[in-house]
Amino acid sequence: MRVSSRIDKYRKDARLAPRPESRLLLTVLASVSSLALSDTLALSLLLAFSLLYLVEECGARLIFLAYAFLAVMMAVCLGFVWVLGFVFEPMRDAPMTMATSPFLRLGVSLNVILPLAMNVKLTNLAAALGGLRLPGIIRLPLMVTIRFIPTILNDLRQLNEAVGIRFRGKKGFFFWLARPLTWWRVFFYPLVVRLIRSADELAMAAELKGLDPGTKFGDQREPFSADDRLLVMLAVLAVALAAAAQLAAPPAPPV
Amino acid sequence: MNTSTFSFGSVLNGRGLFETRELVTIGLFSAAAKASSLMLALAGGGMNPVTLILKSAVHSALLVVLLAKVPKTGTLTLANLVGMLLSFLLMGQHIISLPAILLGTILVEAAVRLAGGLSKRPWLAVPMLAASELLVRAVNVLVSYLTVREQPGLIVMVIAVSAASYVGILLGLAGGVRMAGELRHAGLIQD
Repeated sequence: MRVSSRIDKYRKDARLAPRPESRLLLTVLASVSSLALSDTLALSLLLAFSLLYLVEECGARLIFLAYAFLAVMMAVCLGFVWVLGFVFEPMRDAPMTMATSPFLRLGVSLNVILPLAMNVKLTNLAAALGGLRLPGIIRLPLMVTIRFIPTILNDLRQLNEAVGIRFRGKKGFFFWLARPLTWWRVFFYPLVVRLIRSADELAMAAELKGLDPGTKFGDQREPFSADDRLLVMLAVLAVALAAAAQLAAPPAPPV
Repeated sequence: MNTSTFSFGSVLNGRGLFETRELVTIGLFSAAAKASSLMLALAGGGMNPVTLILKSAVHSALLVVLLAKVPKTGTLTLANLVGMLLSFLLMGQHIISLPAILLGTILVEAAVRLAGGLSKRPWLAVPMLAASELLVRAVNVLVSYLTVREQPGLIVMVIAVSAASYVGILLGLAGGVRMAGELRHAGLIQD
């Protein structure tokens, strides 16, 4: 697929090969701990540890691009706040240095999200779902969703090409910006009609095969490997260190 | 289908609540929502207001059609849950806001059920979606506020982005209602 070949150049052969569940656990741990902590030193520790994980898992080019994007976004946000400070009196009082903690928190989530997004493939998610032990009512639609995203992406690409032929190659962003209702009719209607037809056919096939929300399938459970244990232990240690730094820090002056 | 033996486990497995065909439809519409938002993000060049509004419009119009196809209590909750779980599995997103959004969607669906349910009053899908999407944005703004609490001014950007995407949701609701009517007329959605 074109999208995956574009992504492949940012991948890196990592030394650790944890299961998707461990990466998910790390993401949850990072989100909760970075929201709970507020001290700059504690958050910096968390950022440093998560950066080590990112460097282990992703290539330098991707890390550079992601941080450049984050910096641009933060600069735009701070720029807006600065401009709004001229209009609204209360916004002028908070000094810009107070933006350090939000920036650190965003950095931590970026560091754990990128390895997950780059290394967990859509097709491997079925195994992760088995590990999460979801009830059938959630697992069945989720399995259908995971299975059909590539198919629908392909349908959309075909639609795009058909529209390109119909409008003689005029399929650029600004061409459609001037004709939103036409876009809606030529892209969206065929997609939905196709979706409804596929849903009916697929549902009939599933029912004929005797598939039921209670059916057990794809439950490939493996024990946690040494890599998983190492990763989770290091993550817990990092959060404990950051929490200790927060507790040891003097209380912040009231803003 | 045997619904006489009721147990909590059988409800979680969907027996007596949803049929296989309905669960497949919900899964397929969630896949379409994710795929089209990915495609729009790639085609529209990332974060800009137009792409943001279009993404939200497509999302809400798909939900309107889904609710016309599967007019049951729980459809919206399940569709939201599947979408958020997928974001979590792929990108680790939304896990903090998931419980609040889930609870809010269940409350909104319960209110619609008390007002007569979607099968009796299909038009209730529109206020239900408007309320639940507003709630999703409110929870996201709250979680973002927790992230940027030291510099509350930064929340202005989050609110602006949420407001733009809510405009898209409202436009999509209007488009979705019209589309559901046409699909019903064409016999693709049966009453």
